[in-house]
Amino acid sequence: MTEALIKTCGLCKTFRNGRLETPVLHDIDLEIGRGEFVAIMGPSGCGKSTLMHIVGLMLSASSGEIFIDGKNAADFSDGQRARVRRDKIGFVFQRFNLLPTISAYKNIAVAERIRGHKVDGQVDRALAAVGMSDKGRFKPGQLSIGQQQRIAIARAISHEPALVLADEPTGNLDSGNAERILELFSEIHRERKVAIMMITHSEAAASVADRVIHMADGRISNA
Amino acid sequence: MSVLAVAIAITLLLILVGLSNGTLNEVSGRIESVDAEIIVRDRHFDLGSMSGGTLWERQADQIMEIEIAGAPAVERVIPVFLGRVKLAGLTQNVFGVCPEDFAYFAGPRRMVDGGLFEDMDAPLEAVEHFTEQARLAEQDRDYRVTPLPLVIDERLANAGGFAVGDHTSYGDTPAVIVGIIETGVAGRVFAPINMLRGVNGIAAQTAHMFFVKATPGLDTGNLQLLAEEIETVTHRAASLVANYGQILSANFRNLTIFVSLVSVIALVICFLFILVTMYTMVLERGREIAILQSLGAARWTILRQTIQESWLLCSLGTVLGILMTYGARWLIQTMQPLMTVEIRPFWIGVAVLIGIGGGAISAMYPGYLALRHDPVEALSFD
Ligand SMILES: Nc1ncnc2c1ncn2[C@@H]1O[C@H](COP(=O)(O)OP(=O)(O)OP(=O)(O)O)[C@@H](O)[C@H]1O
Ligand SMILES: [Mg+2]
Repeated sequence: MTEALIKTCGLCKTFRNGRLETPVLHDIDLEIGRGEFVAIMGPSGCGKSTLMHIVGLMLSASSGEIFIDGKNAADFSDGQRARVRRDKIGFVFQRFNLLPTISAYKNIAVAERIRGHKVDGQVDRALAAVGMSDKGRFKPGQLSIGQQQRIAIARAISHEPALVLADEPTGNLDSGNAERILELFSEIHRERKVAIMMITHSEAAASVADRVIHMADGRISNA
Repeated sequence: MSVLAVAIAITLLLILVGLSNGTLNEVSGRIESVDAEIIVRDRHFDLGSMSGGTLWERQADQIMEIEIAGAPAVERVIPVFLGRVKLAGLTQNVFGVCPEDFAYFAGPRRMVDGGLFEDMDAPLEAVEHFTEQARLAEQDRDYRVTPLPLVIDERLANAGGFAVGDHTSYGDTPAVIVGIIETGVAGRVFAPINMLRGVNGIAAQTAHMFFVKATPGLDTGNLQLLAEEIETVTHRAASLVANYGQILSANFRNLTIFVSLVSVIALVICFLFILVTMYTMVLERGREIAILQSLGAARWTILRQTIQESWLLCSLGTVLGILMTYGARWLIQTMQPLMTVEIRPFWIGVAVLIGIGGGAISAMYPGYLALRHDPVEALSFD
């Protein structure tokens, strides 16, 4: 049996702000297999985004362990964490988070440059994969929000990561656009065999996933 | 914008230093051009304003009598009476000298145009002459007064557009330019000593400086001895002409400190400016930095980028500042041709070090801030 792509054991997170402590995650045991599409659901403030940031190594856990590809990320240095993000992970945010001053094409190219990839046509292929081949030269502000989210997805998948982390990727979209973005996610998942962890508030969105994890009050409620 | 701030600070530093160094070196270079070994002046004589403290004829005689190792040590005492005149928009010191002594000042320098003046026999005669002239001129508006003859150097002539025969004035007394000499002589303006005394209402043979020409063959040690001996017999300050530069800068230490202080303040302000610029940049770009981090840029890369950016600002500013310095020097010397701005490679080196070093230092805090930035927060909220 192959080991899971992501595995957490007893993961806890408490935010400390001076003397104020906010416990957010308690004892999270979670596994995501390679190429698995997981949806995370739960009420607002239950810690979904926090969990995702820990999985994406943007945030460290207060206690517990997190394994990525079988390696304990708790032992990673800052540089190693950055490298894992760079090589294995792609982020898609609710608010797209594109760089506003440069074109869509360059947004993807910047990511490629940070990743140190120099593969010809990679940006074009990523644009084609999200159906935006003809929109590369537009700046984010000149694109509709559905199109902006497509560019963000193209940026997240252009380096063929093992895991795409999406925090409410359809939260800012109307139902028509949301539907098309979800179709895009399942397509990418099917064709590229990439694992996806998607946070969503919509049952419809969750239904495209292989598995749905429900969270409440910082715990996983359906194990 | 911050590039300009750095550039202005660097320019200020270089111009202030260049102006004070240039002026000091130019003045001391000119004094050292006199063909004499020792300069004697009253202890209260102010090198800056060239005023105060008088020397008497009797002291010249005392100096002439000094012997070293049983032989006369002094060949000649050259008195200089100083006056002031406004020419080419700036107040100039006038060196009142005996026509016979002029060769000690001219050295190898040629008279470019015109010739040397003649003097009256005694200061008293000059006082009476100019008093009488003034009285006559008051009675008769058309009365032509005999003017005070002046020899000026070429730099002043060019700066003021003066030619031989041009009329000007010394205070209320008319003056005329009779000769123009190559630049490099001790004074920019020379006048006959007795007439200059007379114009100033001095009837005695006083002076402000003595240049002492020692007998040939005295070595430095003996010259030092002679200077000490002069101090003993005259109770006046005597120093080697060759050391004049050092004496002058020691005298102007306060000025030098002031200039350095102003420059340092300018630089500190300019680095604060960079710091604030970089600081706001980091704050404004919080989201961008976070996005880059989510894409896998290490924090170290981001720190490096911040420092690089401010380093670039400072380097550009330094280069621009150096260019602006040359521009400013050109401007100053075009508008005030008598000012000397000296740009030395040493100070350019200092400016480069300060600009670049300061850039790195003032980038530290914003860089640290970029490191501390919470990427998750920046990505989640507006
Ligand atoms: N940096 C922080 N410092 C303190 N508390 C924080 C911080 N970030 C998040 N929290 C708290 O952690 C809890 C969980 O936040 P999180 O963003 O993970 O919730 P969420 O499930 O994603 O909610 P939503 O569905 O609204 O996005 C919230 O109560 C939030 O206030
Ligand atoms: Mg959230």
